[in-house]
Amino acid sequence: MSRFGAKKGRKLPGAEFSWETDAGGEPDTAPTPLYPKYNVSRAMLLTPREQLQVDYYRDLRDRYHEGPYYSVLDAASSSAKKGSAARVNFDPFHGMPSYSGKYQKKKRTLPKLQGRPYIMRFFPRELWQTIQPSFKPENSMDGYVPQIARTGAKRGFEDDEVEEEDQMKRRKAEDDEEEEGGGGDGEDILDPDEEQEEEIVDDNFEDDDDDMGGDYNAEQYFDGGDDEYGDDGFGDGGGGGEEDTF
Amino acid sequence: MTSQNYAELCTLLVEDSFGELFGRIFATLERYDRLNLPRLKFYSRLTDRQLHHGLAAMIQQNLVFHYTSYDDGVTYYEANQHAAYYLTRSGKILEFIEGRLGQYAATLMSAIMYLGHASVSHLETLPELRPEQPHRNGINGEHKYKHEHEHEQDEANGEHEDQPNGIDSEHALSEQPYLLHPTLKTLAAHGYILRAREAHFQSYTDTVLDAERVVTSRPDIKSMKGKRLEETVIEKTLEIVKEKTDGDLSHGLKYNGVPRGAKQGRGAAQSNDPIKTEQADVDEDDEEDEDENEWSDNELGNDTVPMESSLIVRVNYEKLDVALRHCRFIGLAEQDSSAVTAEVYESLLRRIEYQTPRCRDTVEIPREGEEGEQYSVPIPLSAIAEDVDQQLDLSGSIGPMDISQPFSRRGKRPLEDGVNGTSNEGTNGLSSGSSRTYELDQHLCLLAQPPHNLTSKRIVGGLITWTVEYRYVARILRHLELEKMIEARYGDVALRVVRVLHAKGKLDEKRLQEISLLPFKDLRQVLASMQTGGYVDLQEVPRDAQRQPSRTIFLWFYDPDRVASGVLEDVYKAMSRCLQRLKFERSRLREFLEKTERSDVKGNEEQYLSEGELKMLEQWKAKEALLFGEVSRLDNMVAVFRDY
Repeated sequence: MSRFGAKKGRKLPGAEFSWETDAGGEPDTAPTPLYPKYNVSRAMLLTPREQLQVDYYRDLRDRYHEGPYYSVLDAASSSAKKGSAARVNFDPFHGMPSYSGKYQKKKRTLPKLQGRPYIMRFFPRELWQTIQPSFKPENSMDGYVPQIARTGAKRGFEDDEVEEEDQMKRRKAEDDEEEEGGGGDGEDILDPDEEQEEEIVDDNFEDDDDDMGGDYNAEQYFDGGDDEYGDDGFGDGGGGGEEDTF
Repeated sequence: MTSQNYAELCTLLVEDSFGELFGRIFATLERYDRLNLPRLKFYSRLTDRQLHHGLAAMIQQNLVFHYTSYDDGVTYYEANQHAAYYLTRSGKILEFIEGRLGQYAATLMSAIMYLGHASVSHLETLPELRPEQPHRNGINGEHKYKHEHEHEQDEANGEHEDQPNGIDSEHALSEQPYLLHPTLKTLAAHGYILRAREAHFQSYTDTVLDAERVVTSRPDIKSMKGKRLEETVIEKTLEIVKEKTDGDLSHGLKYNGVPRGAKQGRGAAQSNDPIKTEQADVDEDDEEDEDENEWSDNELGNDTVPMESSLIVRVNYEKLDVALRHCRFIGLAEQDSSAVTAEVYESLLRRIEYQTPRCRDTVEIPREGEEGEQYSVPIPLSAIAEDVDQQLDLSGSIGPMDISQPFSRRGKRPLEDGVNGTSNEGTNGLSSGSSRTYELDQHLCLLAQPPHNLTSKRIVGGLITWTVEYRYVARILRHLELEKMIEARYGDVALRVVRVLHAKGKLDEKRLQEISLLPFKDLRQVLASMQTGGYVDLQEVPRDAQRQPSRTIFLWFYDPDRVASGVLEDVYKAMSRCLQRLKFERSRLREFLEKTERSDVKGNEEQYLSEGELKMLEQWKAKEALLFGEVSRLDNMVAVFRDY
């Protein structure tokens, strides 16, 4: 307002058009309070019915969380690979593995697809192998594969920890092999065995040995960093020509 | 249709329920729309394995559409915002199902939601759908009581008695499909679940385009030309789309337009209605028992046939919207009429619901004034009379003392007084039956009164029928919602101004002041603040070419459509903020919450947590509930502005 050089006793230009003022009255030019009283509106308490709805919602949400699909991007722990993003975000104060860690809720980084039947025709072909590792693309090229009945399908993931540990080790070995093999067509047809396992990041001390033993690991000295580039799809050739186009 | 706020909200909902991986994929798909796998990989910066698994799981939950094009065989993925949004409505839906069809149906529905879509054979294997389960868990006493009750029922039914019934597990096995299949059938008959089709997994546009391609390649269509060609193509396309997406399961499961498993249970539920708050659990028991009885009666007929085990079911959100809309209407009726009238209305709406597959035929809400009239199915009065509980005291609430009694029925009063309650009904059934119908008609007339016009009367072929004019009532709901908001924000003066503007159209300040009888000062302040908020706006009409302010007419107007769409965006944003707040509150208490979620602590909190921690957990739960409750209230508004 002051840029108009308001003189004493004269109205500011445009002041008569203000909505706040009366048609003919004096304008109120006093400054507005710095911290005006502010009424914070508070939410009403939930009615019993709403409470019931919320409870149902929470139950369902909890089930999703407990279920096989809930997965996070980085489960920061000291077992993360060196130099990876997860390792950088590691919390040194609370992240160190402790005994009670074995009770801690485990976080997945991949949804677990096994353990329930799927109806294959609802999924696109390129995901069939992910859903059902036994599916071979060359077998039945037309029509959909009849669903294979799984006997003794497991629900929940706590009970197959023992297998997982083995699988984790095996997978590690396989990963290395794959990297050396150069990953011929990593784009759509994945190694069925690889798909079969699931990845659970937990603070199992046995598994951590490789990575945590020390800063220096002669075996992984050279191929340690390769995994990332392969996974992120930036530097590797296996990703196919598609990416080169941008 | 999709806006930034809506996209943000959907992403947050997906992330909240399924974790960051889903959230990342979903957000990428929302931002870039359709993507094939390599592109998606590039933009989302995820690994192949993460993407493959994530996408497969998301398709299972129907959060992602996919479409493989015929030309190049490339599969494209697209975010399904609709499904993502309905995550937030799931609590409401489950509560509704529980109220309508009992606890077990809600559990079943929850299981279907949890699985995305599921085949009946898979549902059979689920442990939580076996009636035995609550016994072991012992979550609360009512469950236990109820299921014991059911056991008694089963044994009393006699069918199970001839089986060797000593071993408990065997009993469970025989009982499990016994409850599951009837409940599934009831849900299907109500239309709350439907058969999953392949077309449900691709977006609606893709389905339409596919159908169009099929139609245009037909030889008989190719020979057509011009306008006729266009019309036939559109018509045939719609036919094909309908056929492809139609998953209706209710066919053959209704008797005279009433789904099985609904009728008797309802009578029991309604008799307890006025005291429902007190006796919710007892009421439920009754309902279950009634249902069971009916099912066992039907065992003789064709209903022993279980659902085919290869059938794949999913939740029918469209139909559930209709049901929830009716709940809302009933709420409106309860506000300004007696409980009995509301119950009569409920019976009418239920009849209508059975025959209404979706809320609207158009995708978007039609603009105000252009919406025309959309009447529901007319329901004959006699059908409503059948449905309304026989014990319900119809005459009590429309006696002479009733202030809500409409003027036109003054003359009939003594007659109604004479029909006093149940004694008369008992003595001569014929006359009381007709007077009951008459009273019902009176109740419905009451509802048909302005301002809400919740019902309207039709005479179809000499029969009195009642319908509901959907668009009108939906508009009223919308306006009430807006008016509520304006009053809360700008006070009652503003509300008066808005109402005047809405009733009279565009007005200049002087006229507005005359009509609304407000001093200039108040009026201007209120108008200015509302204009800043975007609720009213100003139109300039110059009287000459110079457009001088002094020679220009300024007209105030209030456009409900515009305001509603703005408010809708605000509501989306508010919902997002609630969810973000929740996330933040969670992160503040992360260490503590992780402790409570430890596998040894969870379930026996009393044993492991200290008193202070228990208190903290309780506080956290209350806080979380409040935030979710707020989201669900906002969702009510979204439903009014977008879905009804």
